[in-house]
Amino acid sequence: MNYVEWLRVRNLLRIVAIVLAILVVLAVVLRVSVARYMSPESWIAHMASGTGTRETRTTLPDGTNRVILDDPADRTHIVIDDHGYAGKHIVVTEPTSRAHKENSNVNVGSIHVIESPHGDMTTTVIDTNGAVPMIYYMALADIVALLVATILAAPFAREIDGHLEVTLTKPCSRFRYAAGAIGADVAGIVAASVLTVVAFYLCQLLFESARLDFSGINARAIAMGVVCPLAWYALWCAATTWFNRSYGAVLGFAWPITIFIGILTLVPTANAVALFIHDVAWVLSRLNPLSYVSFAEPTSSGTLAYTGSNFGLRLSLELLLFVVYAALAIWKWQRVEA
Amino acid sequence: MSTITISNLRKIYAGVPAVDGFSLEIPGGSVFGILGPNGAGKTTTFKCMLGLARADSGEVLYDGKALVPQMFEQIAYVPERSVLYEWMTVDEHVEMTRRAFSRFDAARAAELLAQFNIDKRKRARALSKGMRTAVMVALAFSRNAEILVLDEPTGGLDPVNQRHVLSLMINEAAKGNSVVFSSHQIGQVERAAEHIAVMDRGRLILQGLVDDLKADRKIVEGIFPDVNFTLDGIANDSRVARADRTERIVRLLVTAGADEIAARLSGAGAVGVRVLDLNLEDIFLYAVSPATATTDVVAKENSL
Repeated sequence: MNYVEWLRVRNLLRIVAIVLAILVVLAVVLRVSVARYMSPESWIAHMASGTGTRETRTTLPDGTNRVILDDPADRTHIVIDDHGYAGKHIVVTEPTSRAHKENSNVNVGSIHVIESPHGDMTTTVIDTNGAVPMIYYMALADIVALLVATILAAPFAREIDGHLEVTLTKPCSRFRYAAGAIGADVAGIVAASVLTVVAFYLCQLLFESARLDFSGINARAIAMGVVCPLAWYALWCAATTWFNRSYGAVLGFAWPITIFIGILTLVPTANAVALFIHDVAWVLSRLNPLSYVSFAEPTSSGTLAYTGSNFGLRLSLELLLFVVYAALAIWKWQRVEA
Repeated sequence: MSTITISNLRKIYAGVPAVDGFSLEIPGGSVFGILGPNGAGKTTTFKCMLGLARADSGEVLYDGKALVPQMFEQIAYVPERSVLYEWMTVDEHVEMTRRAFSRFDAARAAELLAQFNIDKRKRARALSKGMRTAVMVALAFSRNAEILVLDEPTGGLDPVNQRHVLSLMINEAAKGNSVVFSSHQIGQVERAAEHIAVMDRGRLILQGLVDDLKADRKIVEGIFPDVNFTLDGIANDSRVARADRTERIVRLLVTAGADEIAARLSGAGAVGVRVLDLNLEDIFLYAVSPATATTDVVAKENSL
């Protein structure tokens, strides 16, 4: 019954796939271009370029190539274990005065850095092949999924715009048709997320042996990353169904309005007018599923954590908004006339 | 499922009745033409019949049952305007219809599209108005539906394809299916329809078998020697539907007993009395548009 909606989804996913394929091709070009800079030899040569640095090379029993750079004058000692495609494990021991003053424990993508000061020396351990938190993937996937959701978010308005005689003379109830159309779009949005994750995973694979982490915080990131675009879709699906005569304008202004309201919530509450504007914008922003999104941020210990309070409540609100907005859209759809 | 009963249908748009107490029984296994001027309410009637518009009052029953979505397996509808998806190919429209209707005959669709010279690989936006109509007609006639509701099914088609569509309609009726259609082209209705209904301003003003309407309705024309004549109550006869006068000539539209009325007209002094047959166009025009039917003054006996 929803063949047309599936066609719309298929055509849009085809465009998404083409864009992502171009991205992967660009990543291949980049990988080939930087190949010689990424070789261990060039990297070690750069590290060992200081005068007085002694370089020792050995091969460990497991095949790991170990390079030790020692500069007694600088009191710097570096051990580099090169596991090839599986990454590097680097231990740098240097005077604390030369190390970072602030806490430099960092987890960015697959790079993990842990600094441990001890006396006047600091040891920095760098691993270049850690598991990649899903928040990075989901953040990227959500950008694509939200764009796809915005484009798809007029399944009923597009039918009302000249096709009701086809849609409403099929042997199925309006509710069943509506549920099927929303189902097709939801599948398309989720598929866009998956395609994006796969494309970026491929890009990462070009540079290192990528490992994904689906546990703990990452599972939460996935849940939020999947549900948020669906709630966003339902919001604009309801809006386009209710204002079906100008659904193009509704979708066109979806992002500008959202951004504008978001900016208004940041208005400093310096006076009564500003406070009023802020409060109105804040209330309006509560209708927007994006306002409940919070992935994760690095903590002071350098690890990632979900910093938004009440993850369960936020996720539940996203799901509730999806259900409420979808119900509003279907309710209106059941009352349209040709 | 074949007989459609429309009872006291009423649909109001912005305070103006588009359909106003319309009742009709459409028998199964026939071709039923609905005629009416623009804005008569034909399309609105179809929409109410199919649940596309909610009637303010009245009901439509199919073999005594109210319409439910599952009945659309047996009802095919071709709307007045193109409802094809501009971005989809004809092939994709065929696939859409195949997936929606279990009785759809894809081979029949391919055959009909070939007869209409439609390239199935073309997108709807690349088709002319007539071709779009042809695609919708081909899809509807491939559904093996028991009821076909066709709103201006020949719009934009060339004469050859118009004739082809009329043949398809007659064939469907011959198979025992019901075809209800509207058209502005009365010649087509006359050629295809066994029954007609004439609508005007949302109301049913005339209905019946085409042959009966033509047999019953005659024009009795008489010429009087001078302009000062009287009809001796002839115009008030219940069988005289209309009386038109031009100078010495009087034309009476009679619904029965034409010969008797002609004799009475002779008795009143008319010298050249003729009984003329009506075609469907005459019947239609007399029913809905007196000014178009005759430029003469329209009057009944009291003003003659």
